[in-house]
Amino acid sequence: MSQWKKITIRVMRYVTLLLIVGFVALLLIYTSGSNRPFEKVEKSVEASLDKENMKRQDGTALKRNFGLNAADYDGVMYYSSEFSISSEEVLLIKAKSETQTAEISSAIEERIKTRMNDFEGYAPESVQLLEDAKKSVRGKYVFFAAAPGAEKYLEIFNNSL
Amino acid sequence: MLFSSITFLFMFLPIVMAVYYLVPNGAKNIVLLLASLFFYAWGEPVYVVLMILSIVLNYFCGRDIEANADNPKKAKLSLVFALTANILILGFFKYYGFLLDTVNSFLTTDIPYRVLPLPIGISFYTFQAISYVIDIYRKDAKPQKNILYFALYISMFPQLIAGPIVRYADIEEQLKMRKVTLRKLGQGSMYFIIGLAKKVIIANSTGAVFEEVAAMSTGSLSVLTAWVGVFSYAFQIYFDFSGYSDMAIGLGKMFGFEFKKNFDHPYVSKSATEFWRRWHISLGTWFREYVYIPLGGNRCSVSRNIFNLMVVWTLTGMWHGAAWNFVAWGVYYGVILVMEKYVWGASVEQLPKPVQHIYAGAVILVGWVFFFSPSLGYALRYLWAMIGGGSGIADAQGAFLLFTHWLLFVIAAVGSTAYGRKLLNNAVRFSANRTVRMTVGAVLYIGIFFLSVAFLVTDTFNPFLYFRF
Repeated sequence: MSQWKKITIRVMRYVTLLLIVGFVALLLIYTSGSNRPFEKVEKSVEASLDKENMKRQDGTALKRNFGLNAADYDGVMYYSSEFSISSEEVLLIKAKSETQTAEISSAIEERIKTRMNDFEGYAPESVQLLEDAKKSVRGKYVFFAAAPGAEKYLEIFNNSL
Repeated sequence: MLFSSITFLFMFLPIVMAVYYLVPNGAKNIVLLLASLFFYAWGEPVYVVLMILSIVLNYFCGRDIEANADNPKKAKLSLVFALTANILILGFFKYYGFLLDTVNSFLTTDIPYRVLPLPIGISFYTFQAISYVIDIYRKDAKPQKNILYFALYISMFPQLIAGPIVRYADIEEQLKMRKVTLRKLGQGSMYFIIGLAKKVIIANSTGAVFEEVAAMSTGSLSVLTAWVGVFSYAFQIYFDFSGYSDMAIGLGKMFGFEFKKNFDHPYVSKSATEFWRRWHISLGTWFREYVYIPLGGNRCSVSRNIFNLMVVWTLTGMWHGAAWNFVAWGVYYGVILVMEKYVWGASVEQLPKPVQHIYAGAVILVGWVFFFSPSLGYALRYLWAMIGGGSGIADAQGAFLLFTHWLLFVIAAVGSTAYGRKLLNNAVRFSANRTVRMTVGAVLYIGIFFLSVAFLVTDTFNPFLYFRF
């Protein structure tokens, strides 16, 4: 093997390792969760919510609307509209394990689908909220917002981690 | 994507098989590689990049070790670089959170940190990559010049996410040339169907029983319920993992590969030592080849051998997960294996065989308690319940679970032994007539397949335990 080829191979190892480090750094910045307690994240998100049209719901509502048991998770914060013609809602869950985040994610997708069918044809504003809804899975945290301020809520959620 | 999913069974697999069998031999590896990357990206659209980078890194590491083969010192440095990089990547994703949690808990600090989900299969493909660079360093294998073939070795979807851990030296020739025949396709399909049935019918059903027991507090468990729970888990994890391994081996055969078996009826063992020769064989082989023997194996003093065994078993425990219960599980087996080797192994061998089976069964079941427990405290409380420290000897819950699932337990117990497959083979071979045998075999296996699919469609409980490792 020529010296030139040997050097290329050696350099490629370092380049690839650097790429891996860079990739992990990007993941940490944009997709990671955190070990922050649920109460702290909840407090930040809850403080930012426009609660004029939304009311905090209990585990029964979570079960009814998403099919999820609040007791299965480390923490749940669920706000939804008091009016049946509005699709406005914000959900924050800290799962006990990362495997639970997939089931929460599916439940949210299912909820969006159902609500779209419910509002299709007679409540275009609610349909628009669902189309613009924000969902994010960061580590054990799952965040979902279908609300006029969804973008802002998501940003606050990301910053609170 | 799970093997035991409708998407895999009726979309992914048929399409990949059709394309694979239609393209010329020279293109088969490319088809399989693309299918494998798609398979992984389906579940891990982000981490597929990490796997590709890991492939490229290890490819160049292998080439670098080869380039320095004439200079042992440089070759060793190159190997150390490869091992360090692989261990750091695995360690970061798997143990970094655990490490900081431990520090926070011991020092009562609150060091904040960012967490990333564990990439599926990282423990398996990293171990394969490590086996590759070590095999090249030892000159047990030649470095793969074709990066696409090497990528296929690391990412091959049948064994990518849950093993078996295939040593590069074992598969080197097959990557270049292998026979793809209809006979192998048939054999592979049979393996796959049996694996699917083990997973979907037995593991999921026993898993559902275990979930019921696990949902109860340890203080409310009677002896009967606790034992029903631990037996259910033992069957779940065996049929889950060995089922997945059978599916992987079967898929490998369908694509012309031969993977070594990963399980050999571990529950018929008469000691913990024998159990570990029969359970997750590819992992045991990996640790023996790449950790135990390099540490000195058993060709050393007794104290050094005990040290080697404890290192290997602590690492084996940690490989299964970043939690103290896995460390305890590994140390537990380390101690038992040391004891069997140096203290009571010979005495156990003198006991009547049924007693040896009971001894091994007890050791294995206690081990599973450490394994499934979310914490060490829970494990100890569960063990306490198993000997009567919970809620009495028997209760309605335990009796209900036992009487409503006794047939499942009988099938699982028979299926855990060689008799299970023997019964199936006898059913197929009852006639001397070849046509009758083939017809019966086809009907039987197709029947098992559709029964498994029926379970898949109707059952919502379809976890896979070894994904988290």
